[in-house]
Amino acid sequence: MSIIQSFPLVIILVLLITAFMMPLIKNTKIIKGISLVSMTSVMILALINLDFVHKNGEYLYRIGHFNAPYGIEFRIGIIEAMMGLLFTFVALMIIWYSIYSIEKEIKQSKIGLYYLLVNILIGSLLGVVYSNDLFNCFVFIEVGTLASCGTIIVKDKKENIKATLKYLIMSCLGSGLVLMGIAYLYSMTGHLNINYIHAELVKCYLIYPNAVLISIVLFIIGLGVKSAMFPLHNWLPDAHSSAPSSSSAILSSLVLKAFVLLLIKILYGVFGMDILNHFSVLNIVLILGSLGMIMGSVFAIFQKNIKRVIAYSTVAQMGYIFLGIGLGTNLGVSIAIFHIIGHAVTKSALFLLAGAMIEQTGHKSLAQLKGIGREMPLTLGLFSIGALSMIGIPVLPGFISKWHLSLASIAAGDTILIVVILLSSLLNAVYYSPIVINGFFGEENLQGKVYKSKSKPLKELMPVIFLVISMIYVGIASRGIINLISLGLM
Amino acid sequence: MDNIIIILPIIFPFILAILMATIKFNEVKRNIFVSIGVILNLIFLITIFYMFGEISIHLIKLNEFLDIYLKIDKLSIMFSLLVAILWIFTTFYAMEYMKHEGKEKRFFTFFLATLGVTIGIAFAGNLITLYAFYEFLTLTTFPLVIHTDSKEALKSGKKYLIYSFIGATFVLLGMILLFSITKDITFNAHGILPALTKENRSLYLLSYVSMFLGFGVKAAIVPFHSWLPAAMVAPTPVSALLHAVAVVKSGIFAIIRMSYFIFGAKIIKELHVNIFLSILIVISILLGSFLALHQENLKKRLAYSTISQLGYVLLGVVLLNEDAFVGSLLHLINHALIKIVLFFCVGAIMYTTGKTDISQIRGIGKQMPITMGCFGIAAISLIGIPPTNGFVSKWYLAQGGLTSGEMIFPAILLFSALLTALYLLPVITEAFFKKGEHTIVKEAPMKMLIPIVMITIIVVLLGLFPNILITFIQQIASEVI
Repeated sequence: MSIIQSFPLVIILVLLITAFMMPLIKNTKIIKGISLVSMTSVMILALINLDFVHKNGEYLYRIGHFNAPYGIEFRIGIIEAMMGLLFTFVALMIIWYSIYSIEKEIKQSKIGLYYLLVNILIGSLLGVVYSNDLFNCFVFIEVGTLASCGTIIVKDKKENIKATLKYLIMSCLGSGLVLMGIAYLYSMTGHLNINYIHAELVKCYLIYPNAVLISIVLFIIGLGVKSAMFPLHNWLPDAHSSAPSSSSAILSSLVLKAFVLLLIKILYGVFGMDILNHFSVLNIVLILGSLGMIMGSVFAIFQKNIKRVIAYSTVAQMGYIFLGIGLGTNLGVSIAIFHIIGHAVTKSALFLLAGAMIEQTGHKSLAQLKGIGREMPLTLGLFSIGALSMIGIPVLPGFISKWHLSLASIAAGDTILIVVILLSSLLNAVYYSPIVINGFFGEENLQGKVYKSKSKPLKELMPVIFLVISMIYVGIASRGIINLISLGLM
Repeated sequence: MDNIIIILPIIFPFILAILMATIKFNEVKRNIFVSIGVILNLIFLITIFYMFGEISIHLIKLNEFLDIYLKIDKLSIMFSLLVAILWIFTTFYAMEYMKHEGKEKRFFTFFLATLGVTIGIAFAGNLITLYAFYEFLTLTTFPLVIHTDSKEALKSGKKYLIYSFIGATFVLLGMILLFSITKDITFNAHGILPALTKENRSLYLLSYVSMFLGFGVKAAIVPFHSWLPAAMVAPTPVSALLHAVAVVKSGIFAIIRMSYFIFGAKIIKELHVNIFLSILIVISILLGSFLALHQENLKKRLAYSTISQLGYVLLGVVLLNEDAFVGSLLHLINHALIKIVLFFCVGAIMYTTGKTDISQIRGIGKQMPITMGCFGIAAISLIGIPPTNGFVSKWYLAQGGLTSGEMIFPAILLFSALLTALYLLPVITEAFFKKGEHTIVKEAPMKMLIPIVMITIIVVLLGLFPNILITFIQQIASEVI
């Protein structure tokens, strides 16, 4: 067994152990240093691990001394390894960004706590991604939920407490449903390991059709709540818009994605296509995904606060992912996972940039952010690139997802879905372009604004620039990435 | 990658635009910089055509559909030369004109970028490349449309963006449907699609119609035309160039590419779709003319006239025979030249006197004889009185209409010519034959006057000696039909 195989475990351990060192230290500079160093090192580990998996294929990693049905194991395939790299990379960029600006959003005394929560959060998300054991996943989900609530409430404002309570209640409901789903599966099969459950389930699903159906629906709804599937998204705009910008970025680009990945893992790993087709439950995901694509964008049009616009846009973008999952074809799921990657880098950049605008001007509402392009040209310029990807300009990842999703829907025989996809991208243009246009143009908007007067130093925007570059890279390298994903799905 | 040189005329204007945005110029240096830039670009174009002829290059091949592919054929030579030459005239005109609009730096930045994008459209070798440049065209022209930054301009700009994005969405829909039929969307004369069968008929039809309407938004087909008059808030050089040449003609160019190089005349005929589209186009021709009659504002009058004249070009495209296609391409060129003169003249009046409406220009012909003289010549050409170039293109269009066996089309052309006369001649009579106030107005400055006169000379020459152009266009037509 190669040492590299243990890297996923090492990654989680490094994150969790360094997390608990932070409250012991008073000096915030050292805390930030530890956070950065730990995230950088796990990113390197994730990179090496991805390379290893790419060369040697997927493997199962046994944790503890017991073998699979009894002990816990990690299953590291190409997709898991890719997600490991994506999560650590995006988290690293967000932390890098936050070290310059976090004092402006949360109290000095809470900084240690904040970075502790971030490390725990990323660690638990990676746990959800890597683990091949459902109960183990559940534990990581709970840890992650509490940590993500923490990253919102750490700001200590009234709206944060309200939003966090809403999030916590919805989220606990979600995890409760997931737990019930796991209980159903356990009582039917006697296993918690995904491979073993699947093997048993294929034999016995015709004996307990109702129980299997109920457990599938429990998982879809439970994880749907957590990953903001329409109409279970109502906690998201409050939570994402009131959180500190770096938390919003983590929440919408990573936290939601881990739960979606778990949903993919459960639907296609635990149940498998035969069972899903037998109960035709994927249509639920498909319909809710399409509704989310449209409704999320429609809600976003009517928002007045820039972070709420981006938050509702997340609901719409999650709709694309659910649409891909709901198509039930290899291509559909590959594009769903590709969209997870593309959206993670885009949305984190957008949230950080919106955060930068709010931080420099003190204004949140779109009306007050008019003319921002003159004051912060680089910031709004980067924002525009992200917005263009959302609108779907060729080569950028947003366009590629839409294109492939449309082709996948034709292949799956649902031609009408193209209309939904195109309508949704048109709606994206409706709410993203005014931000950019009013930012750069308009006599009234630019009145009294001084060129570059509020721009952030280039150094502090570097992480966002890296995110935008990686977004463009994801678009350009889409062929390779999608091929790799479908290889991993085989 | 040997042919990498052909991206030069596309990239070079972008480099100029970036330099324009970053370096601080004074006025003289800026003018020299821009004019040398656009002239060099024309020289690059001609050199490339001369040295390489018809070549192609795969710039970036991301996967089987996202393949940025450039290809030069006769049609792209024609369109890119037209664009590059008119761009030079407009540059000189704009140097003077933009003085009273201000914000020249921003203007020239996007002005140069748009040149690159338009040449990109001309060179696009497959549908996806065309679509990408088409989207970029919206993005680079948008700041030009809202140049004054006033509330009204922003409103018109918004309209422009909404229409363009809806059009692009239709194009995308058509493209996706097309791609599900054939995995190859490279342009090829006579089209690339497999033969029409009962099963794929509706898919073909949907794809063609949605792309036609999508590109038709930029070509201002009637239900989608209202962005064009609204966009007249832009400075005159922008209106002239973008709304007579670059933007609207790109829409038509895209429709030509899509019709003849993807579907092919044979399949469109079998789909019987061109009959319905020609009804839409006839409505555009007539409605544009009728609406033009009522416009007080000179620029708006010209804008509605553009809608009508673009209908002529599109009619030639959908009639699907050689004569009509020759007429269509001829009219594409002639209308570009004529309309740019008309816009420039109106702009010259606006610049020297500040007058914008037809009732205000009484007697101006005596004060600005050269400008109004050119306006008169251009107006006569647009009406189509021989021996002007407008007559030549309409002749071919009428021939094409007869070839297709429909008497109605030549009749419509004649009727519309009458309407054209009705809305353009009053401008001339107002200017020359009515007495106005005795204010002393001089001709516009030389930088504006020379481009007007030179393009007018080209218009006249093309009317007297159209054969070189016609031979070239007939070569294009014989290749694709």
